[in-house]
Amino acid sequence: MATKLVFELCDALKRREQGGVAFELHIPKLALYQGQFVAVVGESGCGKSTLLDLLALVSKPTTCRQFFYYEMRQTTDVKQLWENKEESALAALRRSHFGYVLQTGGLLPFLTVYQNLQLPSKINGYKNNAEILKLAKRIGIEGLLQKKPQYLSGGQRQRVAILRALAHQPKIILADEPTAAVDKTRARSIVKDFNTLAKESGTTIVMVTHDDALVAPFAEVTYTFELNEVSETLTQSKLLT
Amino acid sequence: MNTQPKGVIARLAVLDLRHEWILTLCMVLAIAAILAPLLVLLGLKHGTIQTMRDRLIEDPVNREIKPARTLRLTTQWFDEFKQRPEVEFIIPTILRGSSIVRLSSPEKRLVLDLVPTAPGDPLLLENEGIIPKEGECVLSYAAAEKLGVKKGSRLTAKITRTRNRRREYERTDLRVVAILDPRADVLDRVYMPFEFVNDVEAYREGRAVPKRDWSGGKALPPLSYDGLWVLVPQPFTSIQETILTIGTGLAEIKKLKAAQFRQLLGFSLPDNYHAYQLLARGSPIMMSSIKSVKNKLRGKSAIVLPFAQEIEIKRANGEKIKVVGLSLDESQTTDLGLPALPWGTFEASADFSKQGQILFDLPDQESIKVTAPILESEIEFPLTRRGASFGDYAIVPVELLGTLRTGQSSKILFDKTQETFLLAKAGYRGFRLYARSIDDVPILYQDFIAQDIDVITKVQEIEKVKVLDRGLTRIFWLVAIIGIAGGMAALIASLYASVERKKRDISVLRLMGLSRLEVFQFPIYQGIIIAILSVIMAIGGYALLSSIINFVFSADLKMGQKICNLPINYFVFTFIVTCLIAALSSMLAAWKTTQIDPAEAIREE
Repeated sequence: MATKLVFELCDALKRREQGGVAFELHIPKLALYQGQFVAVVGESGCGKSTLLDLLALVSKPTTCRQFFYYEMRQTTDVKQLWENKEESALAALRRSHFGYVLQTGGLLPFLTVYQNLQLPSKINGYKNNAEILKLAKRIGIEGLLQKKPQYLSGGQRQRVAILRALAHQPKIILADEPTAAVDKTRARSIVKDFNTLAKESGTTIVMVTHDDALVAPFAEVTYTFELNEVSETLTQSKLLT
Repeated sequence: MNTQPKGVIARLAVLDLRHEWILTLCMVLAIAAILAPLLVLLGLKHGTIQTMRDRLIEDPVNREIKPARTLRLTTQWFDEFKQRPEVEFIIPTILRGSSIVRLSSPEKRLVLDLVPTAPGDPLLLENEGIIPKEGECVLSYAAAEKLGVKKGSRLTAKITRTRNRRREYERTDLRVVAILDPRADVLDRVYMPFEFVNDVEAYREGRAVPKRDWSGGKALPPLSYDGLWVLVPQPFTSIQETILTIGTGLAEIKKLKAAQFRQLLGFSLPDNYHAYQLLARGSPIMMSSIKSVKNKLRGKSAIVLPFAQEIEIKRANGEKIKVVGLSLDESQTTDLGLPALPWGTFEASADFSKQGQILFDLPDQESIKVTAPILESEIEFPLTRRGASFGDYAIVPVELLGTLRTGQSSKILFDKTQETFLLAKAGYRGFRLYARSIDDVPILYQDFIAQDIDVITKVQEIEKVKVLDRGLTRIFWLVAIIGIAGGMAALIASLYASVERKKRDISVLRLMGLSRLEVFQFPIYQGIIIAILSVIMAIGGYALLSSIINFVFSADLKMGQKICNLPINYFVFTFIVTCLIAALSSMLAAWKTTQIDPAEAIREE
């Protein structure tokens, strides 16, 4: 059981409006602990991606009481950074403390698999090529290192994406339906490897999915959404533990 | 917080361009297709103008400046002109009439123009010639052809003159040391050392040239005066006075009172004589004026005596001697009640044995050394004392004053060995000048115009090249601006489209923590890389096309000349400018990258 708090979001509201139709996501409390596997399960349109935007520090909460990121001896007030429009500081946080696994991998097509894996480390100024090669071998993609992403299967692409997210040893990995494009057997294998690697490095995983059965064996905490259509022009969603 | 290492964005930009190599190649070709013709156009402009300039520069004839009319230039003028940085070579020339020589080879004879030369003469040195020494000559191509001679041949030069109604000539043997390139001179000319040409001029003017053993006379200074005294028994009517100022070179006549006469000449005018002063205005009068007045006074028992004003003689100890010039025959001195003069009557003679006498109160000396002011200096000469003066002033032959008056407007000298006054060489009558470069010709031309010296130059031909250069430069820039604008538009559109295509990738980079400023650099790097590749390709294209053009025109060009040619600095300039324009063109695309939100990476998925 993880104990150290790394991320905390309290009383946050995100309101989106498009074409006269508004959507509000209310987050009473969300706390992430070191090494924790957190599942966010919900149907389409319930606010999963909106929540991921907030957690990925790419979308500013409309209102928020507390929004902290905790490091070893330092606490970063993310709310304050948003209010002060310190985009560079938010980018730096994303760069060094966050990893991302997107639905189809989010790999850069002009880089080889190896270059994609090296990219987060290079951006952060790390040199951990040996570690990358070791992990690649472990999850069985060492033969794919010199290939471009377009020559990989969906499952291979997701494994590369997971390894890229872990390469620079971030505190938190945000995974947006990483197994949506693969079959169930392969999906379970991917999630299992993901969980194992994260646990070994003490990385917190937030995995957004609509398949609660897939994450049930691994998730220590599962968040769901309570959706309420207030009117034709307003839909509200609330994050539940 | 980690700091991002430098070069990551540039490396990503390169890898992206490599990944989309076909599109990159298309962009590079598009830019190179604009640059290469511009380089060829610039090369043609530069090469053509350079070739024309080279031809102008190469041929010293185009740098030559020569006077349009006969001049009188001093050695000092030449010395000063030689010091000018624009002047490469200058040499005096002689009168065209004196520069004719006859050359004869065993088979042929030719009358040709003698031109002085000296070390450094570019006309000779840049046209396959060498500078001839004493006894040597260089021939123009035309002259050599007509004489049927070649380098090393021997010729005889014949210099002729007419002196004392007699035809005289001298011969000298010459060796042909070089024959000039045809472009140097189309006329029949022989180039010889300046000293020889100078001696030829002296010989043709009737003088002897002892060092060459060429016989001849002395160049004696002519006599010149400021006016005439006219002493007559009967006074002139006003009509007679006026007649004396018509066609005589004299402009004014004044009747002198007895006291004035005494004051001016130092002795009294007899009661039965009337004295008149006839004055020249401006230039002095010569013997012809004196003869003319004497003719008009024939039968009037008039005594006509020239005078020169303000001639002052000084003794060696600095004592000034006031002199009056009198040359009268015995009957004239008797009529005037004066003692006979040892040198007698006035003659148009420059004979110093007559001129060098004085009546002066210095009984213990037979000869005195005196000096008199002449043009820019003083002249020293001896005078033989022939007794005491009978007047208030020392008396000298009026011919001496005539010589000293000439010395005030022309350079004269006293030759001690020959005991005679000589007329020094009256400067030089022209010059042959070569400017250091064609750009110096207009500067020197303007200076000559300012000095009121009409000159013949190739300044108009040089100006034509400059006008052509300016015109072609304008055309080039017009084409270049249109081309560059087209290239910029193509690059802007390509890079902007590229950013639109890579929206998802850039948003992923943003999500991974690259800031707006960092992704801003991405298209700029790509623009610059495309520009570099385009310049390399354009230079390659230019090299190929210019080689073809130069090959096609090679028959009309000399060795080493190119009709299409660019110096290396033009490529450096093109490289820098293209990179700057490419960076500028990528600004819109760069701005577009900053508008891509990292959240788009999540949403796009």
